[in-house]
Amino acid sequence: MRRCAILIALIASAGSVRAQAPADVEFFEGKVRPILVERCQECHAATSKKRNGKLHLDSRAAILKGGESGPALVPGEPKKSLLVTAIHYGNVDLQMPPRGKLPAREIAILEEWIRRGAVYPGPAKVVAKEAGIDWAKGRTFWSFQPVKEIAPPMVRDKAWSRRGIDPFALAALESHGLTPSRPAERRVLIRRATFDLIGLPPTPEEIDAFLSDKRADAYERLIERLLASPQYGERWGRFWLDLARYCDVAEQWAEGSGQPWLYRDWVVQAFNDDVPYDRFVQMQLAADQMPGAEPRDRAALGFLGLSPQYWKELQLDKDVIKGVVADEWEERIHTLGTTFLGLTVACARCHDHKFDPISAEDYYALAGVFASIRHADVSVLGDTDAKAVQQAMDKIQKLRTEFKKSDKARGIEIMKQIDAIKLATPRFDSSLARGVVDSSLYVLPDGPSRTKLEYKPGVSQDVKMHIRGNPANLGPVVPRRFLKVLSPESPTLFKSGSGRLDLARAITREGAPLASRVIVNRVWRQHFGVGLVDTPSDFGVQGSRPTHPELLDDLTARFLKNGWSLKWLHREIMLSATYRQASTHDERKAAVDPDNRWLWRMSRRRLEVEAWRDAMLAVTGTLDTQVGGKSIDLSDVRNNRRTLYGTVKRRELNDILRLFDFPDPTTHSASRLPTTTPLQQLFTLNSPLMRQHSSALVARLKKDAATDDARIRRAYALLYGRSATDNQMRVGRKFLGETPSDETWLQYAQVLLASNEFLFVD
Amino acid sequence: MTNLFTRRQAIQRLGGGIGAIGLASLLAESVGAAPAGPHFAPRGKRVIHLFMNGGPFGPDLFDPKPSLTRYAGQRPREVELRTERPTAGLMAVPFRYGRHGQSGLEVSELMPRLAGCIDDICVLRSVHTDNPNHGPALFMMNNGSQTPTRPSLGAWLSYGLGSENAELPGFVVLCPGRPVRFAELWSSGFLPSEHQGTYINHTDLDPQRMIPFLRNGSLSMQAQRRQLDLLRRLNDEHRVERGADPALEARIQTMETAYRMQVAASDAFDIRHEPTRIREEYGPGHFANACLLARRLAERGVRFTQIYYGDGQPWDTHNNHNGAVRQLARNIDQPIAALLTDLKRRGLLEDTLVVWGGEFGRTPTSENGDGRDHNHWGFTMWLAGGGVRGGMAHGATDEFGFRAVDARVHVHDLHATILHLLGFDHTRLTYRHAGRDFRLTDVHGDVVTPVIQ
Repeated sequence: MRRCAILIALIASAGSVRAQAPADVEFFEGKVRPILVERCQECHAATSKKRNGKLHLDSRAAILKGGESGPALVPGEPKKSLLVTAIHYGNVDLQMPPRGKLPAREIAILEEWIRRGAVYPGPAKVVAKEAGIDWAKGRTFWSFQPVKEIAPPMVRDKAWSRRGIDPFALAALESHGLTPSRPAERRVLIRRATFDLIGLPPTPEEIDAFLSDKRADAYERLIERLLASPQYGERWGRFWLDLARYCDVAEQWAEGSGQPWLYRDWVVQAFNDDVPYDRFVQMQLAADQMPGAEPRDRAALGFLGLSPQYWKELQLDKDVIKGVVADEWEERIHTLGTTFLGLTVACARCHDHKFDPISAEDYYALAGVFASIRHADVSVLGDTDAKAVQQAMDKIQKLRTEFKKSDKARGIEIMKQIDAIKLATPRFDSSLARGVVDSSLYVLPDGPSRTKLEYKPGVSQDVKMHIRGNPANLGPVVPRRFLKVLSPESPTLFKSGSGRLDLARAITREGAPLASRVIVNRVWRQHFGVGLVDTPSDFGVQGSRPTHPELLDDLTARFLKNGWSLKWLHREIMLSATYRQASTHDERKAAVDPDNRWLWRMSRRRLEVEAWRDAMLAVTGTLDTQVGGKSIDLSDVRNNRRTLYGTVKRRELNDILRLFDFPDPTTHSASRLPTTTPLQQLFTLNSPLMRQHSSALVARLKKDAATDDARIRRAYALLYGRSATDNQMRVGRKFLGETPSDETWLQYAQVLLASNEFLFVD
Repeated sequence: MTNLFTRRQAIQRLGGGIGAIGLASLLAESVGAAPAGPHFAPRGKRVIHLFMNGGPFGPDLFDPKPSLTRYAGQRPREVELRTERPTAGLMAVPFRYGRHGQSGLEVSELMPRLAGCIDDICVLRSVHTDNPNHGPALFMMNNGSQTPTRPSLGAWLSYGLGSENAELPGFVVLCPGRPVRFAELWSSGFLPSEHQGTYINHTDLDPQRMIPFLRNGSLSMQAQRRQLDLLRRLNDEHRVERGADPALEARIQTMETAYRMQVAASDAFDIRHEPTRIREEYGPGHFANACLLARRLAERGVRFTQIYYGDGQPWDTHNNHNGAVRQLARNIDQPIAALLTDLKRRGLLEDTLVVWGGEFGRTPTSENGDGRDHNHWGFTMWLAGGGVRGGMAHGATDEFGFRAVDARVHVHDLHATILHLLGFDHTRLTYRHAGRDFRLTDVHGDVVTPVIQ
């Protein structure tokens, strides 16, 4: 979208040459300079090391002085100007630019410029790209400012606040003539907190224990218990995987045969271990190069190793393939920029970013990092395990060789031995993860029309700017470095290897104010349904401004002070009075603030597809709680694992995921947008899976309780965490009839599972 | 139990005849959104939008430009307009034109059958939009902005008109695959979610395959109705306790729609029920099937049926333009002619507005030698039925078909006109959101009155 806005700007400036008759300077800056910069100055500039016949086209003096062939032009006399001869391609010995004749329009512009006297305002700005961005001003943008703790504002209601965020939220409410809602009942609170942290409903037993816990810190204890659960990582890991466009089945031509799920499991474990967020970020870019990282942490490289790979048709011209490679850089830069920094850096691929202080140089400075890495399997085993796996593989290889020469009986014997070796070798099938290694890709011609790809392991490269994003129109080389606007001085260059580790560190050091604000806002959004900034992956000029800027700053500053701890952040949010409000509707307040941006209540939220399905498995007692491992198809009726472990194919989502707003894993997803459609409800009414869950629920109810009444009560306790009302008992009994058949029970169970109360969290 | 419940039952008894009231308007009381309802007598009651995704080139089909051939290869000043990619000189249109119908309107040889319907068609030769990229232009054509965040035209109509048949979704999107932007194109944006388009891939003609989980393999409809009654009762009770919540209401609503869809959709979406004679009239292929499906849906009161011509963007002819267009035109000529004829025969054309066009057009200049680039400066669309004046051309592009120069029609104007034909003053069909009243045409749009009967 950004790129399009740029086009509009270009269109606006592209009228006919004579009609607009602008002042000469304006004409030069608007029309001539861009041509000189993009078409000529790569070679013909004082800073260029290229063969250029000693002609520099970067100042009027230099042009008039000329090069080896004499002055480049005669002001006012296009026909006598060498430059004009050259660009017309009339003289076979003097044709410029060498790559191909300029479009007629550009030739006309240059002629017109010379006719007007070749005005060239000095001093020359060698790189016009830089001219567009006012860096000093750019650095003053709100999201780039250092975060700092802020004294809580004065509020009228002195008794309400519980945690640091509350005075800020309350002050905002009061200034809009609003008051908070009453605190949610404990029963509501435990259901909300449990879904929020582990993505599952609380059991009736857990609810009872919480309700009867009279200790002052019962709620704090609840939060601690949930944060300590291994299921916390399963819930929050999935949130991260949306950003990282994780998939279990990548493109069929994707390089690598390692196990994608090792990355997913690493993310889950990192959440459970409360790995400081800055380290969490760094490991996903450079775990193999970081001091103190374990071999198993190399699985974190799946963030890069599972990047989409685009098809490279080697029958095509190298420039086409370079375009495909450039598209991959863009994908990587987009995902990196939005995920970690909330910046749409990829918009600067063809031009400086139209809105944010991000130059095309910045873009190509990062592109160099991605041009210096290659998808590769990485071992996640320590030396001992790795050795064991290697020995096992060697043995198996020998047996396989023997197998080929064996008779049937011996063959069977060998197969058995191979299976036994695999079984006896821990992690035989999970030693390799998808990751990356430092290795530079060169796209080279292969004969007259074909292309070949050449990797140079261990070699790094800086890349040239692609003028207007065109890989066949190259500008100057840009050294690998971090974004200029986030660097206080001149950006530090990336020196070690591809620069992944330098980049990773820069994101959480120079980029810390932004990186930390972005993650704090994302976590906030997961808890409240809407972010303080409601464009979670765009903290730039086009993004939203925070509703509560001081709250965001103060919370972020304290998040940093607490070692980038996400579990600290959950506590801080969930223990607040703001979070503990009821979600009840209020006509008057809704009239003032229909979208609840000022947080006068808790927003009711619909469970994501994962939590909804997992909740069904949980209440029916069929949930398989094994953590980690291979993915399994969601359509498989035997799949009772959490939805996190359902196979995600990049190019084709499973029906249940597609119907229920699961994000497209081809690209970074900033946030899920819940939709409500009849097709979803057809799934609820008709899918074999719903019938299966209903049947499992009936089985559980029969096991847990002896009479129909007791079973209805048990169902309400399991599904909704409350007792059924008299009316609901009556309605249930009426539906079931005197002596309900299994089928009638099943239909009843399906209704309870299909209900809004089961799907929404107050 | 609740007033809402009894009102709904009352509505159901009214069956299909609730168009004027609109189920949405009744539900609106519970979700706090004022019902729109037409502002004046509508000319059309429903829309079929034939979306040539990728962008067709008007002068190939409905906007003759002999100068393209005369000056082929040249690059006159008029073509110095920035589009998405660089282009070279003018590229000739090799297709002959003839005059057709009473109106004598010119139609190219690529549309031999549709030429027979030209007296029902109003060609808009001067449409323009703001951006030569597919994404923003697709959004503009669908929701009047360049971003994916606004409600689409179909959603606005569903919101404004309510449902004519509560047993089918009011807004259906057919595509044998996926356009390059997806569900954002038929989003309900900030309008209540029941107004979003229902996407259907009609590659397989069995409704049960088109619409996943359309039928329950184990339960009778009666048993399921009993389930639904219980479910609705529990959901209503749950909702009443919590006060207004559009999300809860939308799910209750879509649950009922889903139930009714099972029967209604199994029939409505099954073009295999059509006599062979009719199937043959439309001809073979995905697009023909979609046109026939659209007619069945129009008959049954679906407000807005949008057909994307094909997967991806088949009309995006950056290469081998003429060859590709021959084939594309062949694939649409017979089905569209059949659709218009069929609608007319059934008396449906007078209140069904048919809209044809892409998200933009293509350049008269060549790209890659034999292709044409995107062109948002000026392009062709056409309208038929629904109170539109047939057999006329409105507006004009320049000599080469690049830029709209005469009686220009911006997409906002097109939207205003469509809403007008459906009975709405586009400046008054609004929805309060985020502190202000939004409308499809934002602050723009003029009704193109010359095209209205």
